[in-house]
Amino acid sequence: MLSSLQNPRQAAAQLLNFGLILSTAFMMWKGLSVVTDSPSPIVVVLSGSMEPAFQRGDLLLLWNRNLFEETNVGEVVVYNVKGKEIPIVHRIVRKFGTGPDAKLLTKGDNNAADDTELYARGQDYLTRKDIVGSVVAYMPFVGYVTIMLSEHPWLKTVMLGIMGLVVVLQRE
Amino acid sequence: MHSSLVRLQNAFGFFTTVAFVVAALIAATDLIAPRTPSVGVLKPTNVQVVRGRPHYYSSKKEEYAIIRFSLDADLSSLFTWNTKQLFVYVTAEWPAAKAGSGSGANATNQAVIWDSIITSPSADHLANLGPIAKKKLIRSAQGKSIDPSRGILSLKNQRPKYQITHPSGKIAQQDDVVLRLHYNVQPWVGLLTWNRDSDVGRWKTLRDNVSKKFSFPEVKKKE
Repeated sequence: MLSSLQNPRQAAAQLLNFGLILSTAFMMWKGLSVVTDSPSPIVVVLSGSMEPAFQRGDLLLLWNRNLFEETNVGEVVVYNVKGKEIPIVHRIVRKFGTGPDAKLLTKGDNNAADDTELYARGQDYLTRKDIVGSVVAYMPFVGYVTIMLSEHPWLKTVMLGIMGLVVVLQRE
Repeated sequence: MHSSLVRLQNAFGFFTTVAFVVAALIAATDLIAPRTPSVGVLKPTNVQVVRGRPHYYSSKKEEYAIIRFSLDADLSSLFTWNTKQLFVYVTAEWPAAKAGSGSGANATNQAVIWDSIITSPSADHLANLGPIAKKKLIRSAQGKSIDPSRGILSLKNQRPKYQITHPSGKIAQQDDVVLRLHYNVQPWVGLLTWNRDSDVGRWKTLRDNVSKKFSFPEVKKKE
């Protein structure tokens, strides 16, 4: 049961392996973040405000570079309201002006009203730097696991418990 | 090498690899399917500018433009087996009022006046309708994976969904306004695509999607 600990060299090798896997995953995430120029390039849809296009648990890939043209009306963007941490995925419905100072207004497809009430007090429009990225690719259902884990934290303990149990009951 | 944990890990890893490859192939089929959307008619039929408030308790008064329009378009070729929904929207666009108002001479203002979500039969059960309307929708295309009749838009003197204004509050007597039709194809798996100004491979651009220029009238006076 504790066979790995009897051989410290093997334990160290396993630990190193584990560390390598973790850091590779982290590097891939950060690399994607650099390529897309977005702090959070993969987002899970949390609300139903963009139904029927996006359901809760769907995975979105974001792109934050304006290589060929500016972020325009009709694009689905992810933005953070000033001071709040929850990212919102909505569509740009109005744009006034061009360049980084252009004023943008967003609205969820499934909402009757635009997002004016969601913005910070005194803020009537968003600007380009409020936007974390615009959605370019979509994959359904994949992210539902993260929603379940965040809304039912006891699931994390259960999962870790099961994994620990399986490891302990192994016979090498 | 033969423990159940390792086997489970291998099976799960294989599953995710296969799922990812299948998803990539499905997304790639979108590039092969040709698209030939077309617009017959897009014109404003009735334009008014009224004075109003952004919401009931607001003290500012702003000018709002109400643009009724007619639209005739055939977007049925945009639907493939991978299409989840088609988001169609009409924008009103006009240049900046004067040069030096923060942006260049070509600065444009764009605002969506009308939009519509057209689900493909595979996504009908997700449409945002009441139970009876949803049942009717699902029944209308039962068995078909694509319903081409859904891509055909024929609107006469359509009331706009949104009354638009400018951040400055003034929008009356603005010249060089045009209406433009756009679409956004939402797939089940893959890249979201919008209409482009030039042809991309088998996808033809949406020609004639801009109306003739018109002007906003002055504010309607209450009699």
